[in-house]
Amino acid sequence: MRNTVCAVHYMANGKQSGPEPFENLKLELRRGCLVVAVLGQLRKEQYGYTLRKALADDGLEIDESTLYPLLRRLESQGLLISQWREQDKRNKRFYRLSQVGEGILTQLLEEWQRINASLEKILQEA
Amino acid sequence: MTNTSRRNPMELMDRYLQAVRFWLPKSQHDLALELAEDLHSQVEAKAAELGRPLDEGEVSAILKECGRPVVVAGRLRPQDYLIGPMIFPAYRFILKMTLLWMMLPIFVFVVGPVHFATTGSLGAAIGSTIGAMWTGGFLAAGIITMVFVVIERTQSKLRVADKWDPRSLPPLEKPERKASGGKTACELIFNLMALAWLLLVPYKPFLILGPAASFLNAGPMWHTFYAPVLLLTVASILRLIVILVRPDWVRFPVWSKLLQTVLSLVVVNYMINAAGQTAGAAWHPFVLAAQGGEQAVKIAAVVNVSILVSLVCTWIGLFIAAVVQTWQAVRSFTRKESFTPGSASLHVF
Repeated sequence: MRNTVCAVHYMANGKQSGPEPFENLKLELRRGCLVVAVLGQLRKEQYGYTLRKALADDGLEIDESTLYPLLRRLESQGLLISQWREQDKRNKRFYRLSQVGEGILTQLLEEWQRINASLEKILQEA
Repeated sequence: MTNTSRRNPMELMDRYLQAVRFWLPKSQHDLALELAEDLHSQVEAKAAELGRPLDEGEVSAILKECGRPVVVAGRLRPQDYLIGPMIFPAYRFILKMTLLWMMLPIFVFVVGPVHFATTGSLGAAIGSTIGAMWTGGFLAAGIITMVFVVIERTQSKLRVADKWDPRSLPPLEKPERKASGGKTACELIFNLMALAWLLLVPYKPFLILGPAASFLNAGPMWHTFYAPVLLLTVASILRLIVILVRPDWVRFPVWSKLLQTVLSLVVVNYMINAAGQTAGAAWHPFVLAAQGGEQAVKIAAVVNVSILVSLVCTWIGLFIAAVVQTWQAVRSFTRKESFTPGSASLHVF
């Protein structure tokens, strides 16, 4: 689980909590992308486990205790809609992107493209 | 098959979820339900992969991967704190100021000596001072924490963060200056003269007693305290020489001055205590009437009282100086690189 994004590694004062600065910086970098990835995956309705699995299959592992609070936060911001439903004799909470979430995702992807273009330019100059 | 693997492995899952729920507030229990569903799905997926139900060890491995219940619950629940990051620097500053730079000096320089004066035993005085310091420290820290908790709970409503004016910021601190060579040289000359005077006094009592030297003699306690006073003067001379030779040691003058003041305070304290312990009827701790009859004894008594009053005043002066110098020493230690407007661009880049 070395690549799993886990919010607890971040410290409010910016001090590095682990022995490896690279690992911390990598986690910090991935954290920003995580919201975009979750919103992107939830263009199609999914429940927690399948969402985690889909993210992991695409190379972005995230642990349970990071994903569920994030889903809760995004829902409270109006970006997601959730619904408890029974499937395979078990209650599962299904999430999907709301209309507001779709608009925000579009904006975030545009921002992502801008950052990516800037970074490429900076790195080419170097 | 071991005993553990014969038990229902899903019972382990229930125990785990129960432990997670214990650390979660009731409003967050639906997160525990989602976690439960996730873990069940993981178990199912693993069982499908292996083509058989999981044993307790395999379920245990999944739970261990998820994390210790208290840690998982901590990550699941919304972040809460008594004192938030916005006011925490102020909280730490006030706490440090109160405990280290106010209470500690008070206990060391006032409460400790008072306990020593009342008990007469160094061990008992240290013990009772540490005990009182411990209790007082906890009490002060508790009160400060409670005040800041109240501030934390109310500051968002009062919008304190928005109510500030950049013009109310303190002025720029002056860069730490090196000790003035001329002033130090004058101090050195004065101290050398004081040393010469101290060395001559035992042979020429006139230098301290004036005309009264013809009928007054130094009391026996000077045999004990003459050497420490002499050593303090020598130490002061050495300190001034170091300051002259190494003006670049910008923190040395402040810290060495503090050390000198504290040592002087200790010596004066012992002198006052020793004077207080001298027998009441023949109270002549500092000077004795060698000859001259009753009149000389009366003069000796007045001189003794005068010296004692002077020593008490000196003690008070040294104590105030010690507090001020402690503050200066701490500031010199904690002060970072001086910030001047001209250096702003360097800090920015």
